[in-house]
Amino acid sequence: MAVSAVHLESDAFLVCMNHALSTEKEEVMGLCIGEVDTNRIVHIHSVIILRRSDKRKDRVEISPEQLSSAATEAERLADMTGRPMRVVGWYHSHPHITVWPSHVGKNQSTPLPHQFHNFSFHCHGKLFQLVCLRHSFSTTDVRTQAMYQMMDQGFVGLIFSCFIEDKNTKTGRVLYTCFQSVQAQKGSEYERIEIPIHVVPHEAIGKVCLESAVELPRILCQEEQDTYRKIHSLTHLDPITKIHNGSVFTKNLCSQMSAVSGPLLQWLEDRLEQNRQSVIELQLEKERLTQELATM
Amino acid sequence: MAASISGYTFSSVCYHSANSNSDHEGFLLGEVRHEETVSISDTQISSSELLQVVEVHNHEPCAQLFSFYDYAGQVNEESLNRILKDRRKNVIGWYRFRRNTQQQMSFREQIIHKQLTQLLGVPDLVFLLFSFISTANNSTHALEYVLFRPNRRYNQRVTLSIPNLGNTSQQEYKVSSVPNTSLNYAKVIKEHGAEFFDKDGVMKDIRTIFQVYGALQDKVQSVCGEVEQSERVKEKVQEEVNKLKQQIVLRKRKTTNEERRLQEAQNPEPRLTPEENTEPPETSLLSRVAFHTPSTPERPGPSANPPAYADLLSLQNDSLLPFSSSPTSAALLPRPQAVGSPGHPSPSPLGLGLSAGPNPAPSPGTPYLGNGDGSSSDSLDRQAAGQEDDDEEEDDDDGSSEYENLVSEVGQLPPVSASVLLQGRPAALSPDGDASVRGSQT
Repeated sequence: MAVSAVHLESDAFLVCMNHALSTEKEEVMGLCIGEVDTNRIVHIHSVIILRRSDKRKDRVEISPEQLSSAATEAERLADMTGRPMRVVGWYHSHPHITVWPSHVGKNQSTPLPHQFHNFSFHCHGKLFQLVCLRHSFSTTDVRTQAMYQMMDQGFVGLIFSCFIEDKNTKTGRVLYTCFQSVQAQKGSEYERIEIPIHVVPHEAIGKVCLESAVELPRILCQEEQDTYRKIHSLTHLDPITKIHNGSVFTKNLCSQMSAVSGPLLQWLEDRLEQNRQSVIELQLEKERLTQELATM
Repeated sequence: MAASISGYTFSSVCYHSANSNSDHEGFLLGEVRHEETVSISDTQISSSELLQVVEVHNHEPCAQLFSFYDYAGQVNEESLNRILKDRRKNVIGWYRFRRNTQQQMSFREQIIHKQLTQLLGVPDLVFLLFSFISTANNSTHALEYVLFRPNRRYNQRVTLSIPNLGNTSQQEYKVSSVPNTSLNYAKVIKEHGAEFFDKDGVMKDIRTIFQVYGALQDKVQSVCGEVEQSERVKEKVQEEVNKLKQQIVLRKRKTTNEERRLQEAQNPEPRLTPEENTEPPETSLLSRVAFHTPSTPERPGPSANPPAYADLLSLQNDSLLPFSSSPTSAALLPRPQAVGSPGHPSPSPLGLGLSAGPNPAPSPGTPYLGNGDGSSSDSLDRQAAGQEDDDEEEDDDDGSSEYENLVSEVGQLPPVSASVLLQGRPAALSPDGDASVRGSQT
């Protein structure tokens, strides 16, 4: 049975946005950690950024190891909060592709790209391979979601659509949507169910979300290292080619540092300063309120 | 002109906005630089073009609305300095986040912008407007953003780009060398190429860059740890402040009740009108504390801020409601002016809104729960394009806002939803659109 709603904590939302805006050339993805209450509302408390084992543009792979790590992370969060936490959903990004539901926004000014994509993902030791047409809300996403729902009916999918611009009005747009899949009445195709999603305020950023946020540069570096190691192990390359490959690695790492690590550090420092100022102001307010209470 | 903002700063603005129960605003800090591009064409040997580039490095959020200006839009420089402190010289613009509104500057925003331009001494101060819209069933939400140059003719719009990693694929690695049978070639590159490698055959540059990366990541982790500690400290102090506020309110209520009892004991007359009766204890404090909007609005200075909506919500947590409610219906809260909704709600006077008691009037049913026919999609597109919408009551002059409609809708909610509203923060009156009436000035 479909969930009734999704409540996404704002600090988890922040991490999803950071991740989605990290690259406009490829889709990124992660898993959502949280709990489902008796009213079938999914509460997402944090997210885990996933590493892509296959860097090809049209592939989204989650290995059993990653799912296992996510489950471990969920257990850790459960220990911290004292509440049952588990993997409750997944999210991924759609750069340059909007995700308005099909009955809305029919007069979209931005034409939707049409490409065939070969999607595969491992889950519980099985390889799921799907080939479909990618459009604004691809059937790939819906089928992928359906596969996850086979394991857990409460599993939800989130999509963050970004890097969209209306050139005429110079209006940029970031969208996020939530959905589940249901088998269509006719045939074996799946249909999408739209699930209400609300971002719930969380004034302070949780520890788990902060840790997830700073994982991104580490994950990017690991991906780069793994690729370079495979290349470096090739013995038939001449020195010029090896120098070239080494330079590519250096260049890519520099891009990561300037585009991700640097801005991340800048944001953290700003956040630290904002918090310090907030604490000072709150302390002053606390003193004022204490005095007011004492006079009453 | 070109403009850019980092993804982290952009996300941070979205985060602060999501945490806000009303409109949210703040300042953009960064720098403006000029890039010269030289081009050669058939008609000219070279022509250079100067491109102004605005780079937003970070933002300074305002804790609440009207923190540096009053209801008339008069900016108070002292309050401005208190907010910005030594960052004043880095201000290159300011931003505003609004829900369900058009992508146009309001009259008040234009007035404020003119004053900020003068006070801050930034001739080309920019204004970044965020607008938040949702589908009727709340499954999809959109954050639209436009960067204005209000000091230019026709309120020029500028594309705002978000620099990012771009292509992270490893297609540039070569898995094979270009075939070459020249022995001289092989000899030269082997002899001179050896300089690039250390004794283990690893490129020296790679070790060096990896050290740089490692040091940077260590610093990120370290600052992250400090941020985490500061978040916990802030949380703790905020909790203490909230408790004090609750205690003050309870003390005031107790005093008021005692005074009223004393008065009744001294003047034992029959009760007059229902409105003057003592309200049942189950009634939310909100009905008495909030929305005493006078017919002619007061014009407080920037330092005299209205009670924060969060404070009012925190009072509800201590209300004497006998029942506990579930957050189920948070999923079913109506959303005015939503994409896919059949029409816009008619505004109603303030004060109707959140005074629902234990048995609120039965709801006729909200009209906004996803008929999904896309009937407003066209209006959405026109809104996004910043065009006029004849169906809307757009009136920037008096600061009215569509949030007033939300108040009227809240009063019509079914009983379960009303109890959700009264329970507290999570999902009930939150965030993605259930804005405070008081805080929705434009």
